[in-house]
Amino acid sequence: MSVAFRTIRELGADIRAGRLSPVALAEACLRGLETAGRRLNAVVTTTRGRALEQAARAEGELAAGHDRGPLHGIPYGVKDLLATGGGIPTTWGAAPFRERCFDEDATVIRRLDEAGAVLVGKLAMVELAGGMGYRQPNASFTGPGVSPWSAAAWSGGSSSGSGSAVGAGLLPFAIGSETWGSILGPATYCGVSGLRPTYGRVSRHGAMPLAWTLDKLGPLALTADDCGLVLEAIAGHDPRDPTTSDRPYRYDGTAGERRFRFAVVRGTVEAAEPAVRASVTRALDTLRALGSVEETVLPDRPYEPMARVILWVEGAAAFQDLVEGGGIAGLTAPEDRITPYARDAILAKDYVRALRLRGVVAREIDAVLGRFDAIVGPSRGVAGPRLDAEFRSAIRGGVPDVLGAIGNAAGLPAVGVPCGFTDDGLPVGLQFLGRAWEENTILAAARAWQAHTDWHRRRPPP
Amino acid sequence: MTDEAEILFALIRARYGARLDPAQLEDVRATVAGIVRDVAALRAASIPDGAEPAQPFVPYRSDA
Repeated sequence: MSVAFRTIRELGADIRAGRLSPVALAEACLRGLETAGRRLNAVVTTTRGRALEQAARAEGELAAGHDRGPLHGIPYGVKDLLATGGGIPTTWGAAPFRERCFDEDATVIRRLDEAGAVLVGKLAMVELAGGMGYRQPNASFTGPGVSPWSAAAWSGGSSSGSGSAVGAGLLPFAIGSETWGSILGPATYCGVSGLRPTYGRVSRHGAMPLAWTLDKLGPLALTADDCGLVLEAIAGHDPRDPTTSDRPYRYDGTAGERRFRFAVVRGTVEAAEPAVRASVTRALDTLRALGSVEETVLPDRPYEPMARVILWVEGAAAFQDLVEGGGIAGLTAPEDRITPYARDAILAKDYVRALRLRGVVAREIDAVLGRFDAIVGPSRGVAGPRLDAEFRSAIRGGVPDVLGAIGNAAGLPAVGVPCGFTDDGLPVGLQFLGRAWEENTILAAARAWQAHTDWHRRRPPP
Repeated sequence: MTDEAEILFALIRARYGARLDPAQLEDVRATVAGIVRDVAALRAASIPDGAEPAQPFVPYRSDA
């Protein structure tokens, strides 16, 4: 039985019906990562020993009637910025750290262990989660991430391997991180679903810090429904991450048909490149079958400069020793070896001004979202950049990403789902951006979208 | 480049210039110019006097 491109729910049903063994499933995923995964530059380390041990344990527990839930026996990978104990390296995608090991697992991995999931690999990422200012895809010691949809196109970043491993059907889900664009970007370019949770929903303990007030961890999977299953397993308060909320989270995957109220922020669709604009415009027409779609206007504010200043200052502080000590000279991307020096140009009072504006923006956007279920728009304004070309980065200011700036600066959840293709066959993504803590609302909308469309069932060329 | 950008670039050149060749310095200069543009946009934004930084700080007590 092929296990490629099967959802968590489908695999779980096969396991429980005795049609599939967790050990065989883990073996298949390990084989895929070691072959196709390597071709896509999606893999840093496979965790064979640990995976087969976990899979055998899951098999025994399920046979004994001890069912840990929907992730029991399901293989997954994590972006290699999540710490793993047991001598498994955690490289942050950066050559200076390629041998580095931690003593214990990150909280997210520990929670997935408790849910019975099977860790099969540490996945490739843009070095230091892209925080140094990379401007082209070759920015990881494992090589540029390749899209499953074209050997000439980038997988997106910084959760590159998390996107491409799921998009190529090598894993049913993976964990990524987003500071600005790093889950929704690779989800888009790899044609999968990606969920950026509310800031504070998921513990970052054991995750590489890039920008303390922006970093979030979340799943990439084949469907929005699967993203919800994973979120429930990893969400929740963690005393080792004081930013985590004690709000409980239960995924509601059973919410039935309902009408949604969608908003489109004026200018966000128009700013996308033509191929993306065309797909998203068609998607908005389809959404009208699911509810209302109303244009809204946001106050004229410097959303992207605000988010950039926060990201750059916090990133400069997080990596101060590496930058000032000259360690960035060992990074892969030439621009990552020099751009961080420029961040010394940001004055403290301007960072504080960005934080003050952030509070204003958070209140204004909440007032808008109080009238809607979600703001919809392009997940990314451009489709998969070429592997050999400099790209137009939102973080650098080359392409507008107002929804990304607002969503990340205000800590709001968003789910990105496939919504079409360019003429070159590259995926285009649609995002549902929600009010804080409303993951179930945006997941319900994304599920409704995926029940009405088949973009998420399209498969890349073999 | 604005005067502010030139001054800030001079600071960075003083700190790190020995590590950078002329082409790299030009790249840093362009990045500084972009930062100064971003910061100018931030400074031009209207923010209410009472708007505090959106930053949690909680006094610590070990027995709390």
